[in-house]
Amino acid sequence: MSILGGGIFKGMAVTLRNFVGSYFYKERLITNDYDWRPEDKLPQSIGEYPKEEGEQLRDTTTVNHYSRNFPMLLHDGGEPMDTVRCVACQICERECPPQCIYIEKSEDKTERSDNKAQFYPAKFDIDVSVCMSCQICVEVCPFDAIVMNSQFELSTPDRFGGLLVRRDDLLKSNDYYHKIHPQEAATRDQKMVADKAAKEAKKKAAAEKAKAAAEVKAKAAAEAKAKEEGE
Amino acid sequence: MSFQLIIDILIATVPLLVIFPSLFAFTTWMERKALARIQNRIGPNKIGVPCTRVSLFGLGQPAADGIKMIFKEDIVPRGADKLFHLLAPILALIPAMLILCFLPLEFPWGKFMSGKVQAFMLDSAVIFFFAITGLNTLAIFMAGWASRNKYSLLGGMRAVAQMVSYEIPLVLSAVIVVMMVGSLNAKEIADAQSGFNWFVFSPWGLAAFIVFFIAALAETNRSPFDLPEAESEIIAGYFTEYSGFKFALFFLGEYIAMFAISGLAVTLFLGAGDGPFVDAAPWMPAMWFIAKIFGLIAVMIWLRGTLPRLRVDQLMAFAWKFLLPLSIFNILLAGLSYFALDARVANTTDDVIHYVNSGNPFAGVPELGTNEALMGAMIYRGMAGEQNPMAAKKWFLKAALKGHPASRTLVAWWLGIWVLSLVALYVMAKGLNNLSRSTTKPREYLYAE
Amino acid sequence: MTQEITFWVLAVIAVLGALVAVRRRNLIHGVFALMIFFAALAGLFLLLMAEFIAAVQILVYIGAVGILLLFAIMLTERVTGDDARDITSRGSFWGWAAALAVLVFLLLPAIQGADLSQTAQPINPSVKALGHQMMDPYVVTLEVLALLLTAALIGAVAASQGGEKKKEDTDDA
Repeated sequence: MSILGGGIFKGMAVTLRNFVGSYFYKERLITNDYDWRPEDKLPQSIGEYPKEEGEQLRDTTTVNHYSRNFPMLLHDGGEPMDTVRCVACQICERECPPQCIYIEKSEDKTERSDNKAQFYPAKFDIDVSVCMSCQICVEVCPFDAIVMNSQFELSTPDRFGGLLVRRDDLLKSNDYYHKIHPQEAATRDQKMVADKAAKEAKKKAAAEKAKAAAEVKAKAAAEAKAKEEGE
Repeated sequence: MSFQLIIDILIATVPLLVIFPSLFAFTTWMERKALARIQNRIGPNKIGVPCTRVSLFGLGQPAADGIKMIFKEDIVPRGADKLFHLLAPILALIPAMLILCFLPLEFPWGKFMSGKVQAFMLDSAVIFFFAITGLNTLAIFMAGWASRNKYSLLGGMRAVAQMVSYEIPLVLSAVIVVMMVGSLNAKEIADAQSGFNWFVFSPWGLAAFIVFFIAALAETNRSPFDLPEAESEIIAGYFTEYSGFKFALFFLGEYIAMFAISGLAVTLFLGAGDGPFVDAAPWMPAMWFIAKIFGLIAVMIWLRGTLPRLRVDQLMAFAWKFLLPLSIFNILLAGLSYFALDARVANTTDDVIHYVNSGNPFAGVPELGTNEALMGAMIYRGMAGEQNPMAAKKWFLKAALKGHPASRTLVAWWLGIWVLSLVALYVMAKGLNNLSRSTTKPREYLYAE
Repeated sequence: MTQEITFWVLAVIAVLGALVAVRRRNLIHGVFALMIFFAALAGLFLLLMAEFIAAVQILVYIGAVGILLLFAIMLTERVTGDDARDITSRGSFWGWAAALAVLVFLLLPAIQGADLSQTAQPINPSVKALGHQMMDPYVVTLEVLALLLTAALIGAVAASQGGEKKKEDTDDA
């Protein structure tokens, strides 16, 4: 028979242990201390945030690498729009629960690294004030083109334009992704390579199959021809 | 009305208007810090002295929050009842501030009335306290209804149901103290507990204090009874459509109500301004009073960090099937044990006085501690000044410690009654707990229809 | 002087509150206006040094009756209270006439006939005295009232339980 209200005291003992322990054992703390920004100047919009990689990383390495805050678009290095992974399929736009993504598909196609012409997003805007950081866009993207950033200092004095993030500000390199979320990025790259290999194998198999079928067909045709000739 | 009287009134009321809002600011900081540490986070630690990087453990955070609240845009929904939307936060704050006046908090700087002033000394302070606390319910309902938002209305309805239910055990546990002291006057209740005669040190007082504290948590919508503002279910309840300064007013009102109801708990059960070194300085009682309030607030914060929120059916079952029967049983038990003990004291008094009257007690070898027992008897009979059963019991206790046989029997009875009451209360609480457990499982509950 | 000013202020608030409570079509506004009336009445009791009665006035009428009214309105269909109009009726002339007649022919003579100097007997308004009064000469009344309220409570529970049972029975049949 348990003591009446004993559970409450047990719980209170646990929270007390956490309370006192967090002052003595640094490894208990799950968050990092925030550093003051070096300058007090506020950027007018999110796009104005320092574009230098080091300065950007200061923002994101302050937080734990499990932090997910806001989506970004991935490119594979070099000139962003040449290697952007997004093909403007607009699945994320449809799936977004608060409808904060706006995409305009391009008219023309561009050549990609795998020598394949693809559409690209002419416009890709996300409204920070509407986004609820649910990560559903990341889940549904078939091209691994949109992932979560952990940049958190998004305040601006302009509450309309300043909170709308444009395509060029959303584009981040895969290297940056590796720096802020190393585990997730590595897993994603592995998966992408595996997918590509599987796809290529499939393609190869399909090609072989087609070749075999063509050979069979040719053989059959030759046989038929021979037969015809024989008759 | 003399000038001196006006000065005294200001001395009595202005500290209430200064101390408690500043305590509110400090409490918000303390709560955020404590909750953060309970969850192994750091909490606010950046804002301290303005325009510098001196952080002072983030003590400037409440001021920064206040400035933010004042300058935030005040949004009124288009469909809202504009007048009620404006009135609700004001109506939430005024009763909370008003009930502070009924606390027996004495400030030592007055000149008009023997140097000590209390804001509002009423003969029926306790009942006034409960009457005006009830107005808070109206403010919350008003906010929920005027916002014209389903979550607000749900929150408001939940708040009304919860506060109406928990007011009953709250008042019933306060009734015990009123019964024991024989007065509704907060000052008299405080005086009756001076010299560490705190009511929480008796079995019925302990049970009543626990019931009172739980009901007070529910009454001020604190976790684990924060269903009216349950953020995972109904966004922010009746707060949903409030922003900026109106929200700040609500917040302030809620915390002031917490202080006030803790103050009443301190008055009724924890000896008001009584404590060690209470006579050392004239401001000591007020200090002790506020320190005790703060202790209770700290426990509230601790509980908020510990307990999850109750379900609605659990909430109602707990109020009506557990707290209410327990507090009624406690009233009966308190009356019985009081009269049983009183009868024993009267008996002992008769014995002592008979022993003294039956001859010269100092002729032979006098019984040990006779003087103390005689003192107790005289005080009990009212032969030495005013009748005071409490003080008489103390003298009998002294006599028993010295070895007076009759007093020793009395103390044995006393202890026996207390242990028996404690056991009875525990058994009753345990039984009620088993009976009041909600037997419906969550799943069945959901698909009952 | 201050007492008279306070009296008039409270009296005007009470009358206005009562008028608004009667005339508003919006039920919630009406209930809150009624509560203002109750609060002003409590203030009048305080002015008469009857603090216990004032406390009970707030506790029972604002705290309990008001909340009960709000709950009752919440169960109706007029929760939203969109109607901002006042109640108008064609027979208002006869209503005013009847009220005036009661005032002139019944209340005024009664007030003028009353010996006001006699009612100003000093009474002990303290809670203790009130308690003794309730427990000594009026104890039977008090107990009968308590019995009545308990009976009403049990009756309400029985009524609500009985209805449910009947419904179940019909379901079974």
